[in-house]
Amino acid sequence: MNNVIEARGLTKRYRRTVAVDNIDLQIPAGRIVGLIGPNGAGKTSALKAILGLATYEGDLNVLGKSPARDRAALMEEVCFIADVAVLPRWIRVWQLIELTEHIHPKFSREKCLQYLSSTKVTLDHRVKQLSKGMVAQLHLAIVMAIDVKLLVLDEPTLGLDILYRKQFYTNLLNDYFDEERTIVITTHQVEEVEHILSDLIFIKDGRIALDCSMDEVQESYIELMVAPDKAAAAREYGPLYERELFGRHIFLYENANREQLKALGELHTPSVADLFVATMNGGDS
Amino acid sequence: MNRLLALVKREFWENKGAFRTTPLVFAGVLLGAQVMFLITFNHFDNEFQSLKELLHFISTQDVALRSKVLYEINMSLSVLFAMILAFVVFFYLLGSLYDDRKDRSILFWKSLPASDTMTIGSKLLSAMVVAPLIFWVVYILTHILIMLLFSVVILTLGENPWTLLLSLGSPFKVWSLVLASWFAQAIWALPLYGWLMLVSSFAPRIPLLFAILPPVVLGVLELWIDFLKTFTVNDNLFGLFGKWFANSPLIMSADNHGDEFGVALGAPLTSEFDHAVTISNMLDRLFSSDMLINLVIAAIFLGAALWLRRRATES
Repeated sequence: MNNVIEARGLTKRYRRTVAVDNIDLQIPAGRIVGLIGPNGAGKTSALKAILGLATYEGDLNVLGKSPARDRAALMEEVCFIADVAVLPRWIRVWQLIELTEHIHPKFSREKCLQYLSSTKVTLDHRVKQLSKGMVAQLHLAIVMAIDVKLLVLDEPTLGLDILYRKQFYTNLLNDYFDEERTIVITTHQVEEVEHILSDLIFIKDGRIALDCSMDEVQESYIELMVAPDKAAAAREYGPLYERELFGRHIFLYENANREQLKALGELHTPSVADLFVATMNGGDS
Repeated sequence: MNRLLALVKREFWENKGAFRTTPLVFAGVLLGAQVMFLITFNHFDNEFQSLKELLHFISTQDVALRSKVLYEINMSLSVLFAMILAFVVFFYLLGSLYDDRKDRSILFWKSLPASDTMTIGSKLLSAMVVAPLIFWVVYILTHILIMLLFSVVILTLGENPWTLLLSLGSPFKVWSLVLASWFAQAIWALPLYGWLMLVSSFAPRIPLLFAILPPVVLGVLELWIDFLKTFTVNDNLFGLFGKWFANSPLIMSADNHGDEFGVALGAPLTSEFDHAVTISNMLDRLFSSDMLINLVIAAIFLGAALWLRRRATES
């Protein structure tokens, strides 16, 4: 069993609504998984269950531990950034580092200081004096200096400008990720993470709508762009989704015959964003 | 252990203003008041009675009596600090499990491998040990500075500060008794501390209101129902609280002990315990059946606070 996260029948109910509905999930080590879904789809509820921050029904196993029972022990192996700006505002950077050093057995002060040296954050700053982007840099520096097996990022770049967002993911990929580690990211900004993901999980209405690797996405899905007169012919092949752009029709197919489609127009690999829109809308029609 | 200490340090850093600055500012105010007193006295020297005459008069009095009076004065100084400490601890505990929920930094604290039990323990430890200890140190420093101030004044007026002030009033005994009393009070107050932490862990907003309103409403209802039934007012929540307060091991008032008058533990309105300031009287309270009930109530409140803390990130 080298799955980092294993869920069977994971369900989370609030008083009236079912936020996570009987999900089965296996996330192996060494992957960067994008957990993507519209607002209220149950992403955060699922993550909270995984991190031991909420109760749940069903079987859930994270790094061989039960999050509901062993949150403190689990947090020695798991790091998470839940949303930007959750660092306590009163704390000074040096206090934050000292605290993490004493509480987290796998924290390396040297690494953290090294990451911080490339930012404008100083040890004497209070968190409330830092800009939103600098707080995110600080939090990332702390998290990256902790040698854990699983890193969970819930909307880590929300509200940051494009420069910080790009740098955030560059740092993560270059300085942190390796084949022993697993990263789970939820975000709305799919375009930004799609090139770093190895796996995709779409969540819709508390259920998993799609669970596959990026390689499988490239193999299984194809996008076809045709002139309006070929649209009817393209529809014959049973597209998942259809949209119009600049007077051209764009169709998305799953496991289609590429040779046949090629005759009708141009073929592309779909972006994750397009696939997401198709998956989310497709189920309703 | 290392983790617990780190968490306690965190509480100190976050509450430096309340734990450290407050007693220091208060000490400054007290010292300022002493200086003002001396200047005022000196200013009206010739019209009333000079400080020199007064000192001389005092020096002719019986040593045992002088020592007794100084002992009482030394101890009363601690009452002022205890009052401020009570306020500080009250509001600290009320915010202890509320502030990080409000500003969402609880998500950061929960990402650290420290259990909720340890977190609550660190906060209780800060309220019961760290805050009293800091206040105690500041109280002693204030006391020493006041003694130095008066020694200088006594010296300039040609009297001997050692025989007149420094050798009397057993300051070391006073300091030890005060510290013991404050720690005993921290244990005695556990049900209150537990209640404040429980409120702090569930109040959606304005914890102060949630801390005070339910017991007051309950107490008033009790009084009213009691009154309707028997046309008298018997034991009720207010009475219980009053009894708890009066029986507390905290040095906070004065009383007649036999034929002497002096500082007392709690408020000398009840007769279950001896109110004279001694260690054994403090221990009497801590090993009483009342304390056992206190502990049970505290355990229920703290258990509930822990249960809520575990679920604080649910929604």
